Amino acid sequence: MSSQRLFGLLLVTPALALVTALFLVPLGYSVLSAFTHADGSIGLANFAKAFELYSGDIAYTIFIVVTSTALTGLVAIAIAGYLTMGETSWLVTGLAWLYRWPLFIPFIVAAQCMRTFLAKNGLANNTLVASGLIDAADTVSLLDWRGVIITFVWKQAPFVALLLAGAMASIDRATIEAARNLGARRLRCLIEIVLPQVAPTLMVALILSFVTTLSVLSVPLMVAGSQPTMLTVDMAFRINAYGDYPVANALGVVSYLMTAVVAWFYLRTALRERET
Amino acid sequence: MRISLAAVALAFAFSIAPAKAQTINVATAGDQNMVDYVRDYLGPLFEKKHPGVKVVAVGTGPGDAGSQKIYEKLAAQKAAGVGAWDFDVIVVHQKMAGQMVDEQLLAKYRDKIDTGKLVTRETAANALGADVSGYVMPMFHSQTALAYNPDLVKDVPGSYGALIDWVKKNPKKFGYNGIKGGMSGVAFVAGWVYAFGGGADKMMKGPYDVATKAAWDKLLADLKDFNKSVVITPGNAGTLDMLNRGEISIGPVWVDMFYTWMAEGKLPPNMKLKLIAPGMPGQPMYYATPVKAANARLAEEFIAMATSPEVQAEGIVKRFNWYPGIDAKHLEGKLDQAAWKKLFADISPDELSAKGQPFPIAPYFNDILESYEKKVAN
Repeated sequence: MSSQRLFGLLLVTPALALVTALFLVPLGYSVLSAFTHADGSIGLANFAKAFELYSGDIAYTIFIVVTSTALTGLVAIAIAGYLTMGETSWLVTGLAWLYRWPLFIPFIVAAQCMRTFLAKNGLANNTLVASGLIDAADTVSLLDWRGVIITFVWKQAPFVALLLAGAMASIDRATIEAARNLGARRLRCLIEIVLPQVAPTLMVALILSFVTTLSVLSVPLMVAGSQPTMLTVDMAFRINAYGDYPVANALGVVSYLMTAVVAWFYLRTALRERET
Repeated sequence: MRISLAAVALAFAFSIAPAKAQTINVATAGDQNMVDYVRDYLGPLFEKKHPGVKVVAVGTGPGDAGSQKIYEKLAAQKAAGVGAWDFDVIVVHQKMAGQMVDEQLLAKYRDKIDTGKLVTRETAANALGADVSGYVMPMFHSQTALAYNPDLVKDVPGSYGALIDWVKKNPKKFGYNGIKGGMSGVAFVAGWVYAFGGGADKMMKGPYDVATKAAWDKLLADLKDFNKSVVITPGNAGTLDMLNRGEISIGPVWVDMFYTWMAEGKLPPNMKLKLIAPGMPGQPMYYATPVKAANARLAEEFIAMATSPEVQAEGIVKRFNWYPGIDAKHLEGKLDQAAWKKLFADISPDELSAKGQPFPIAPYFNDILESYEKKVAN
């Protein structure tokens, strides 16, 4: 082995050790625990129990995360699209200044704000009632799955928009101007010219957002009631109420599988980008 | 290498520094009011009596989750063979206290302190079926009850059966937090099983029979049906929030939280409590000290002060609206009549002793939670 390679390995070692000790070992341990029964034998009993008790919550989690990610994508495209192609300069400046704010607010703070904002007699409804847009009798509480999705989209859209706006700013503007000169409206230009060029970035941003929302505990816990709820809440409950790590880890493995699906897309995109 | 050595030295310095300055660490499970109680009231009081001692309050989170974290820390220190454990005084729920005694994590200290004989109530010896006699002192007793707004509820239901009828007539006006959002919801569900399951006495005292839960199918199906017409709130505080905003008219709450929120202006002052038949559960929180507490003697003195009649009257009853941990008769003369009456305004002492029940013993407790998850929530 040449000394240069040895030096390279040495440089990598601290990072590798850190990843191994703080990520791979706990991951391996939790997967192992998920397949281990109380008597030490190996099998699927923990998964059977997880599905028996939480099948509804697994479906609910997929629904919440997929819907949130899709809506996040739409909002982010709208924001980034306007930042790139907006023609009213003060609106673009204002939006650029405003849209990043939620990035600096932790999930738990966002959840706490939403609790009073989205309630039946909360700030949002009271404002609508006071401005005469809806009648006080028609207000509904959004503190259920809708509240969770609203919080996730509010929190994640700026993150995706940030990456997307960066990508859009770096594409060749000549393509946009050519389309505009030929009479394409801005929306059509966004969908047919800009988006295809930034699709890989959008995909990566949405995948990161998907994984983030899947792992949030505070929002489902604080914004919505617990029936149904997301897997993070069930995992916490499994440990806190019963001290039952194996079933909690089985639920963890179910979450890994969900992220594995999107991770596969991520890797495929990354590989393709490297090839081109 | 040099850096890691320095880090180790630094960590070591940190770990011994508090011992020199005589710091006692009080870890408390429960809602924020528990941490406030230790940090703002007990801590300063103890520091005044013991100059040079510093009390550090650590909150480990609400519900059994908080007690679980304390247990895991002690169990880990025991497994690692550590000589002096980090927590000097712990405040835990019943369910975990039994397990901690079983696993020999706690010191048998009650007979060593003067206030030890001031409590004769069953809960000082029996924690959900586990014998904890000598290892714990009740800090306070708390009770769940239905809170309601008398402006919106004229025909207050007096029992679980009447509540079902009321909910049928007033859909989405009753709210509770399920079983994953805090203990007030768990208490409501346990009370439901007591009311319709039969054999409540056996569930509170044992012995455990694994077949009992098989008979709960009907009552759980009824509960699932009942849930269709109620609001599932986000947490203990979530129920109180929704009562405050008038989004629900009745909901199960902890009595102490109810009075504290009302005193802080977070609930309408006309709201009332009703302890419905056949009864709803309540629980004490326990003071205990780990068997290898670094400052065992100070820990005992701390608990003795915290369970003295003066502190129980002023701190527990008057300031924080809990029912006393030691026997109520020892508080006579220490407390003004107004504070005493306020505590028993809606629920009389007789009602409390008739309808205030303990939680079921640990295995039944788990059966209730898991059966609920299986047959009601999923």
